[in-house]
Amino acid sequence: MSVAGERTRAARVWPVVHDAQYEGSRIPSPIPTALQLPEELLESDDVLRVNFGPNHPSTHGVLRLIVDLDGESVVGLSAVIGYLHTGFEKSMEQKTWWKCVTYPERIDYVGFQNNELTFVLAVEKLLALEVPEKATWMRALLSELSRLHSHLVYLGTSALELGAISMFWYCFRERETILDLFEMVTGQRMHTRYFQIGGLAEDIPEGFYPECRKFVEWMPHALDDYLALLDRNAIWLERTKGVGVLSANDAIALGQTGPNLRASGVDWDLRRDQPYLTYDQIDFQVPVYANGDVYDRYRVRMDEMRESTRIVDQCLRRLERLRGRPWIADDRKVVLPPREELHTSMESLIHHFKIVTEGFRVPEGEVYVATESPRGEQGCYLVSEGGPKPWRVHFRAPSFAALEATATCVHETLVADLIAIVGSLDAVMGDTDR
Amino acid sequence: MTYRDLPGFVEEKEAFGETTVTIEPARIRDASEAARDALGFQMLVDIVATDYLGWGSQGVSGYIATATGRDINFPSTQGLQTLPSLKPKRFSIAYHLLAMRQPAERVRLKCWVDDGELVPSVVSVWPTADWHEREQFDLMGIRFEGHPNLARLIMDDDWEGHPLRKDYPIGGEPVRFSEAQ
Amino acid sequence: MADAPKRLRDYGLQSERLLWPTKGPSRFEEELGPEEIEHALGLTTLEKAVRWAQTRSMWPDTFGLACCAIEMMSIVSSRYDIARFGMEAFRSSPRQADLLIVSGRVAHKMAAPIRQIYDQMLEPKWVIAMGACASSGGMFSNYTILQGVDRILPVDIYVPFCPPRPEALMEGILRLHEAHRAGVPPAYEREVAVT
Repeated sequence: MSVAGERTRAARVWPVVHDAQYEGSRIPSPIPTALQLPEELLESDDVLRVNFGPNHPSTHGVLRLIVDLDGESVVGLSAVIGYLHTGFEKSMEQKTWWKCVTYPERIDYVGFQNNELTFVLAVEKLLALEVPEKATWMRALLSELSRLHSHLVYLGTSALELGAISMFWYCFRERETILDLFEMVTGQRMHTRYFQIGGLAEDIPEGFYPECRKFVEWMPHALDDYLALLDRNAIWLERTKGVGVLSANDAIALGQTGPNLRASGVDWDLRRDQPYLTYDQIDFQVPVYANGDVYDRYRVRMDEMRESTRIVDQCLRRLERLRGRPWIADDRKVVLPPREELHTSMESLIHHFKIVTEGFRVPEGEVYVATESPRGEQGCYLVSEGGPKPWRVHFRAPSFAALEATATCVHETLVADLIAIVGSLDAVMGDTDR
Repeated sequence: MTYRDLPGFVEEKEAFGETTVTIEPARIRDASEAARDALGFQMLVDIVATDYLGWGSQGVSGYIATATGRDINFPSTQGLQTLPSLKPKRFSIAYHLLAMRQPAERVRLKCWVDDGELVPSVVSVWPTADWHEREQFDLMGIRFEGHPNLARLIMDDDWEGHPLRKDYPIGGEPVRFSEAQ
Repeated sequence: MADAPKRLRDYGLQSERLLWPTKGPSRFEEELGPEEIEHALGLTTLEKAVRWAQTRSMWPDTFGLACCAIEMMSIVSSRYDIARFGMEAFRSSPRQADLLIVSGRVAHKMAAPIRQIYDQMLEPKWVIAMGACASSGGMFSNYTILQGVDRILPVDIYVPFCPPRPEALMEGILRLHEAHRAGVPPAYEREVAVT
């Protein structure tokens, strides 16, 4: 038992809603992220080492788990990551600030708008750039649609892994509607590159408002459908309740954020507690559940989907009143001028040329900006030298921390539950490996 | 207790609304324990190492932007030309901490190390530091002393070099645009 | 009726009455007159028939790497239904799969497992490089991303864009079907790339 659990219990603060579900701490020791074989099984012939290789039937991407099995129960676990390492951080150091915006979206490719938001907010913080109101509200709306998209993919794929295959088609039906909305606004289904440093890339088309309104009215019915399919299903409840329990103190010690943390009884949501964009003007609830098992993580995400629909509704109403307002900051040193001006204004032409070829310069400094992505706290640490390219970009990946908790959640479980647990932690490998 | 009472405190800076506390590398584990227990920073959010090799080699200008752009009638509404500040050593390691209370509080503990210098590991303070430190070892080459399993995490086990260092090439290939090459 | 119905053996075909040459005409032969029988039969070679069957149920392997995997999953979804082409059965085991859709960026660390999976597939097997990253490294030209999966695998079809729309991927799959039905050999049998 590691000593960390006892210490954090003494320093517990107000966001913990429910006490630990188990005594002490289940974080393995000495290596917190790997379950190691107990003494009595080290020489045993009954232990089978299975490789859940980078390519496996469950749909998480390229995670490799080396699992030691004694019969059906998991007695040893270690995770190998890095099979999707893309070198985002180094690639972004080679590109100008404006060109960098295309990279972050591909990090967490399931909740893609959120990574871009984090990066763009960090650059704007360094620049002290004020973003117009319309852009901020639209960013909040698209971030929530992105959260819905991510949770729908999570629900579809983790239900698929547990055998509830029909959920996949239902969730992807709603997902297609969300992607239609993205395509309507930005021109691309995924990886939209719509958030720019200073605001949005283009104005919001008129047809978006009625379509989004229709979606907002339909979505709660779809969520009721999903609950009807899963929530009273005896097999689903058997497979998810009591499986993969993570207590609040362990979750905090393991750096969990987002739905994983809220399912363990810690009432912490960056949108409410450290508001960014316009979340301080939006009315929404934060679901917190106390048991910390797979079922609670699923319920947190389901409730978050409902809240996201309400947030989208409120943003939409506000945006309908902001029609005709500017969607990007007017600072020509940082933001490209509108194309019509390039024909008439020499200064605009020069600004355009300088921004595209050399890039604008961001003042020297370092910032860390965190947002609440569908997976947890996504942060962007930026160090700028004052030049046209970033000096260091680092993304704090919530899935990285979520996978660190695998060994703790897999305490006396069966190998079939391992799949449920890894699915419920909702780790995206692009986010983990960056 | 304030930041100044942390063991190994060197200096405290505020910029862009964030507090950065510089700590001596040898005392970082004690400072982390004090931050967690006495100051209430129960969550370690991130550990980031930055390589400052080649910093400041070109004169750069700072620019502060506003929503309406600079006003050409007032020339110094654009930022002034500055040189980037000098850094004490090659690598900086930033520990981002979060205190989950109202209002949320964040702090960055920073220590400066040279190539090859050992840094005490904070895994005993926050278990989540396990993979963060392994990642920084893998990509930047910073060795953490007392880490239970300091092995490569992201790159191949037999990879040579530390990719995110500034003297490591970006790699990849030049793009060929025509057949005639 | 006027003439005796034409028999299949009059066309040079061997019907099931091979072992019983004296048996009378079958229902099939009776119901169709002598002219219609030619319209009711499809004549083909064995290779063409086999190729037709292969393209109608080419099962992909569950090989999703990155963002393109999400779009690959959406071709199974009800809007871009790939079950119309018999391909909704994504096999987890490469030994049961025919088609490897490399969907996403390939890191150097992942190159060895991909090659191992490709080698475990039974022939005939095809590879589709989905997306810009699998085709050529995409926007990542750095130390860790393989500049195109064709460095390690023979690729049949390249589907560009980042990520390709599900319709684009389906277009690629259908072109693969057409190519195969036309007799183009899979990539590992070719020495020169065929567009």
